[in-house]
Amino acid sequence: MKINIELMGSLVDYLPDSERGQSVLILKDESTIADLLSHLKIKRRVIVAVNGDEEKGLEYVLSEGDEVLVFTVISGG
Amino acid sequence: MSYGYTGKILHVNLTTSEIKVEEPEEQFYRTYMGGSAMGMHYVLKETPAGVEPLSPDNVLALCTGVVTGTPISGQSRLSSVAKSPLTGCIGDAQGGGYFPAEMKFSGFDAVIIKGKSPKPVYLWMHHGEAELRDAGHLWGMTTGDAEDKLKEELEDKRIEVLQIGPAGENLVRFAALISMSNRANGRTGMGAVMGSKNLKAVVVRGKQKPTIANPEKFKELQKLGKTNLEPTGMDDFGKYGTPDVTSPQNKSGGLPTYNFNSGTFEKHEEINGKTLYDSHLRGHERDEQNRFGRDTCFSCQIKCKRVSQIDEGPYKTDAKYGGPEYETLATFGSYCGISNMDAIIHANALCNMYGMDTISCGATISWAMECWAEGKLTSEDTGGIELKYGSAEAMVKMTEMIAKREGFGKILAEGSQKASEIIGRGTEDYLITSKGQEAPAHMPQVKRSLSVIYAANPFGADHESSEHDPAYKAYPERMEQIGLTNPQEKLALNEEMMRFAMVTQHLSSAVDSLSVCAFIFGASFQLYDANQLVEVVNAVTGWDTDITEILAVGERRLNMLRAFNSREGIGRESDTLPKKMFKRPLEGGRSDGYVLDEKEWEAALEDYYRLCDWDVKTGHPSLKKMESLGLDWVVAENEALSHVVT
Repeated sequence: MKINIELMGSLVDYLPDSERGQSVLILKDESTIADLLSHLKIKRRVIVAVNGDEEKGLEYVLSEGDEVLVFTVISGG
Repeated sequence: MSYGYTGKILHVNLTTSEIKVEEPEEQFYRTYMGGSAMGMHYVLKETPAGVEPLSPDNVLALCTGVVTGTPISGQSRLSSVAKSPLTGCIGDAQGGGYFPAEMKFSGFDAVIIKGKSPKPVYLWMHHGEAELRDAGHLWGMTTGDAEDKLKEELEDKRIEVLQIGPAGENLVRFAALISMSNRANGRTGMGAVMGSKNLKAVVVRGKQKPTIANPEKFKELQKLGKTNLEPTGMDDFGKYGTPDVTSPQNKSGGLPTYNFNSGTFEKHEEINGKTLYDSHLRGHERDEQNRFGRDTCFSCQIKCKRVSQIDEGPYKTDAKYGGPEYETLATFGSYCGISNMDAIIHANALCNMYGMDTISCGATISWAMECWAEGKLTSEDTGGIELKYGSAEAMVKMTEMIAKREGFGKILAEGSQKASEIIGRGTEDYLITSKGQEAPAHMPQVKRSLSVIYAANPFGADHESSEHDPAYKAYPERMEQIGLTNPQEKLALNEEMMRFAMVTQHLSSAVDSLSVCAFIFGASFQLYDANQLVEVVNAVTGWDTDITEILAVGERRLNMLRAFNSREGIGRESDTLPKKMFKRPLEGGRSDGYVLDEKEWEAALEDYYRLCDWDVKTGHPSLKKMESLGLDWVVAENEALSHVVT
């Protein structure tokens, strides 16, 4: 299945530079958020929003066409 | 024997040239732990009520903490406190680099400065000794030139220098203290206080490394810093530095744009962390930014500081003046509608050369740009400079004119709030200040609990005084360590979010008292969590402190800051937000239409007061609270407080 993914801030480095943090990924059907992070080799703590909802846990099963935003939360700057 | 700290506090009276050394008991260090809390002890004891910020009677305290100078990430920070010439309230500014650790090595934990020297001097603290030396030949020099000159005449390249630039000499109300020519104790005008005392610099050098009580445990904690790097993402944070947050802020609708009228900047990618790293850090042409474009503080593995260099053109910039943080990219960038990275890098360098706070400087210019857009300012006011949004040329020109107090820069050097009082014509409607301090680059309309901290913080709007709203949900295990277990919905402004604001404010306040880095130690994303901060303090000092005691240190410092304002007759009436945040909905992006509801916001402020045990009507700390924190002496020794703290 295809999902649309956007990585924010330094997470853009987990995709090829040419993608500028946005890509369409092809994953096995019934892949979870944990599978997605593992596919991207992201080991750090991140927040994942699926179709704008940040409440989904790591075991949430993704669906074809999902819009997935991956970001981190830093207080300050 | 003292572990971690030297046990010596230097007192300097610049009027009489008297220098004394105080050796407080261990209990003193345990009560305050250093930094801002320790500095407030002296400011409250030694300044008279109603002190003029730029008078000899103001006291400037420069304090390290009990772990400063030990070889672990995030410990080399210095707190500076004094009454602020920008706000008329208490002032407080934190800064890092190598100066704080070297000051400890020089044999002193802190220096308390009062009086005014009849002529420019610098303070030379070295190997347990201190002396005042003539600085007439340094007066007027930029920070880089003065630092080079001091290294030459003291014949030691390893001295560290904390100094004012020409802006501090010119009493720009948001002048900063600068070390390494690129690190700033930026906020609340501490540079103007130092300038008013004719003190050009504090220069330090020494070899007195702090003794560590439990070296084995300390070694474990050093290793933990390495283990924590990847899971916390602090390795990526080090690569891109604070500018890493620029585009995520924009995505959430929280990147202040056009003087806080929008939270979305269409050109955010031109001023974000990746663009800065890929195309503007020193060494980027050869892909060697890691080696030449990143810098660090004493013993810190993160290397989050930026180094940029521009070799030619109108924005030619020397690498010694560092590179912009996120705040600077926003204030000189999106606040002003500017996406010219070279111009922002140059404005940042000007602030470091002349010694000014990049937040207040950029935000004062963005305020003037809105006034221009609204027809409240014209070229007659500005001497022909067209202060249009997006004009990098005008922004850079005005930055230099402010530092030199030239032309219209003389008015902007007063800060935006005082400038609006001088100009009138309704320009106050465009201010983005709380207590007269310009707002940093996080939006109260988007981070609602932060809105109350911006207003109620004793030294004005500040972004490092509490955790920001999204952190409550994002880091539940870490929040639990400080008793926060009930995260709320986005944009909530209820009692639980006020509890989140207050408790995390206490931890941040302890971080500023221990004088450690808010990116390395804290309750959410940081390299070390709150419990690990406790372990570091215990390993260094040999104490048996716990998180409750650490939070109480933070609360003690917060109440001392608050009590200072109370003594000066400043209470709830000053705990306000800029009018526009209640009246003008944001435009565009994720935060389109966001505006604060005044009634809801006032109720939240009252919830916050109640949780703090401050009087809801007046905003002053209660006597009961002061006593419970061991601060009854503050009330007893400050007569003006006995009428308001009850």
